[in-house]
Amino acid sequence: MQINGDEVTIDLNMSMDEVINFEEFIRPRIEYIEKIEVEENSTLTSGALLSLLVSIKKTRPEIEIPFLEKMGSTSPVHGTLHWTYHD
Amino acid sequence: MTKQEELKAIFIEEAGEIVEKLDVDIIRFEENSNDLELLNEIFRGVHTLKGNSNAFGFTRLGEFVHHFEDLLDYYRSTKESIEENNLELFVESVDVVREVMRCELDSIEILPKSYAECLEKIKILLDIKKNRPKPVIEQKSEETLKDLAFEFALDTLDEQEDEQRDEVEKSIKFHQSIQTDGLNLYKIDLTLDSDSYKRGFDYFVFLKILGERTTHLESFFDMQNIQTLDEFKSDENSITKVTIVILTPFVYTEVEEVFEFLFDHEYSIALIAPLVVEQKTQAEVKSISSLSKTSETVESTASKTSTTSSNANMPKSTIRIDTFKVDELFDSVGELVIAQNFIAQSEKIRSIEDESINRTIETLSKITKKIQDRVMSLRMVAIKDTFEKMKRVVRDTSKKTGKEIHLIIQGEETEIDKTMIDNLSDPLIHIIRNAIDHGLESCGDERVSAGKDAEGVITLKAFHKSGNIVISVSDDGRGINKDRVLKKAIERGVVSENENLTDSQIFALIMQPGFSTAEVISDLSGRGVGLDVVKTSIEKLRGKIEIDSKEGQGTTFSIILPLTLAIIDGMLVQTADETYIIPTLSVVESFRPQREIVHIFKGKGEFVNLRGECIPIIRLSDVFDLNAKKIEAWDAILVCVETEAGRIAILVDELLGRQQVVIKTLGKSLSKLKEISGGAILGNGDIALILNVDELRPLGEISHV
Repeated sequence: MQINGDEVTIDLNMSMDEVINFEEFIRPRIEYIEKIEVEENSTLTSGALLSLLVSIKKTRPEIEIPFLEKMGSTSPVHGTLHWTYHD
Repeated sequence: MTKQEELKAIFIEEAGEIVEKLDVDIIRFEENSNDLELLNEIFRGVHTLKGNSNAFGFTRLGEFVHHFEDLLDYYRSTKESIEENNLELFVESVDVVREVMRCELDSIEILPKSYAECLEKIKILLDIKKNRPKPVIEQKSEETLKDLAFEFALDTLDEQEDEQRDEVEKSIKFHQSIQTDGLNLYKIDLTLDSDSYKRGFDYFVFLKILGERTTHLESFFDMQNIQTLDEFKSDENSITKVTIVILTPFVYTEVEEVFEFLFDHEYSIALIAPLVVEQKTQAEVKSISSLSKTSETVESTASKTSTTSSNANMPKSTIRIDTFKVDELFDSVGELVIAQNFIAQSEKIRSIEDESINRTIETLSKITKKIQDRVMSLRMVAIKDTFEKMKRVVRDTSKKTGKEIHLIIQGEETEIDKTMIDNLSDPLIHIIRNAIDHGLESCGDERVSAGKDAEGVITLKAFHKSGNIVISVSDDGRGINKDRVLKKAIERGVVSENENLTDSQIFALIMQPGFSTAEVISDLSGRGVGLDVVKTSIEKLRGKIEIDSKEGQGTTFSIILPLTLAIIDGMLVQTADETYIIPTLSVVESFRPQREIVHIFKGKGEFVNLRGECIPIIRLSDVFDLNAKKIEAWDAILVCVETEAGRIAILVDELLGRQQVVIKTLGKSLSKLKEISGGAILGNGDIALILNVDELRPLGEISHV
């Protein structure tokens, strides 16, 4: 995870412990994070992280999460993914 | 048992099953004599019976089924429509097969008269048929039939309005369009429990496994229910549903294996039928400018626990298991549940503050429940076959009484304990005959003058209600004349004139031994010897019968049965530090009475006036002679229960809760205690006795006030 001012860049390939750590990191900083980016070529590997990103977006809809807003992704391992949620 | 005897036992069992199936199939065939597949099924049954009969030297049965088989073969090969009178001969033949088989098995020399008569009719008909030119049968083209099926399937899909479902549907259609031979298309719905991540199951785990042998994999995550961070926990799954569409060479069982460690309710797999392209012949293309393409999206949703799927890739495989072994397995699982409950409820274990231990206990609990459910399901069979048999009963009774009847069957897929099914046929037959013979008006004109259709309606229904299974038989006939029943009951001294009975209590009187209000006794019912036997049979299954009737509108007999005979849903109560179980099926309500509604009648005991009804109070401490300090009724709790002799209020110190318990039989010495119907081991290892509420108060000892 890289922090650049009010922008956070994460690796989508997180274990459950890493997702929990990321959640703990975000909670106290939710008010001043403006954007969550994902590392290039990183692949989503857990529903837990996807859920956390949606939860963050629901908590503060103004946070930009471009990956989430694409409403889908493709990976050679997990195929084509689509997700639906409302802010 | 010698080898020959063993084989004979197998023959008897198989032949019995074949005849039972013939009985059902022949009635279904009578309803739809154009069903060639059913005709083939009947033919196969008769053919097997022929081979087996001759192998065991049952030549008389062998000869009969040989000719019957010839007749069936004639109709199935010529596809000739079967005349109504000849259909009757089919039904008659199945009756003869049953009778002759009984004679063969019991080595009875003299066959029934119907044997020769029916055999002669079959031979004559065959002679006539074989000398007649075969008619040309016009068949509907296969394509037309398929069109109808596809239209129906698409209509079903049209109803799916949900946005994500539309996307899934599009995905299915896309994958159908690229599907080639050897690839199967599946739609998988995952609804994982909130603790699934802790159990090591993330959706992506399954996607990865499926992706390894899948040519196309698409998934749809429904994230609508994800909460804001205030209520969110990363390690708890809150994704509502994930739908996966895959195109794979996997057969159904291989796909199912991927999810074998999930609970049944957490996944469902549906095989999607491939896209069918109709190719018309040149002549047929005349009016069609281009090749028509019809898609089939019928989803044959296959339940994980049932084997009812019509999935072509999943051949149904069954094994015969001695029911004794299943019962043994069930007993062992019962012990496992008790041990698991003990672990889950143990204060010592619960006090261990170790997350991994707690998680393991939770997992153990879920697995135990899963095993219990699966073992339970081994005993459960759909009531369909029993209902199918009732068609024959309705048909025959209709003919005997000359009443036109329309039978409606609902809920035939409802599953019920096999032991109960075996004992349910006779009571049902009696109730149905009774409904037709006495429930329905004596002729169509009488019905028409009452503003009804000339055709009487009998509805046979099975459904789940409050953890029980209800099987109801309703007629739209004349209903029960309450006054007449009451008058007769008073005349016979069953009840006294000043008794204040509710409608259901009055209706229940018709199930008293020897009670009949029928003016004419028929050979079907009306002697008053049947309904009391029906009642006793149902009570042996720990069930009960309720009657509801409206004069002029009809009557409904509802048989209420527990899901299984091995487990009981009970209310745990405590009195004098002892725990007892009252079957929930009998419990009406529980309450703490106010002082002013409790009365004592000299020589008759204590009563509670519950909304105008005086109900006797039974103290368990008195019944079981417990050494307890007597407390006043208004300081205790009364559990009002329904018994054979009316309601009683059981006085207890405390209600401990409701629980499903595995019933244990008591030893010989305790079996004499009629107030107790069994025992159960509770989660904490304690033993509780199951009360037989009907015996808590001797019949007639205390009459209603």
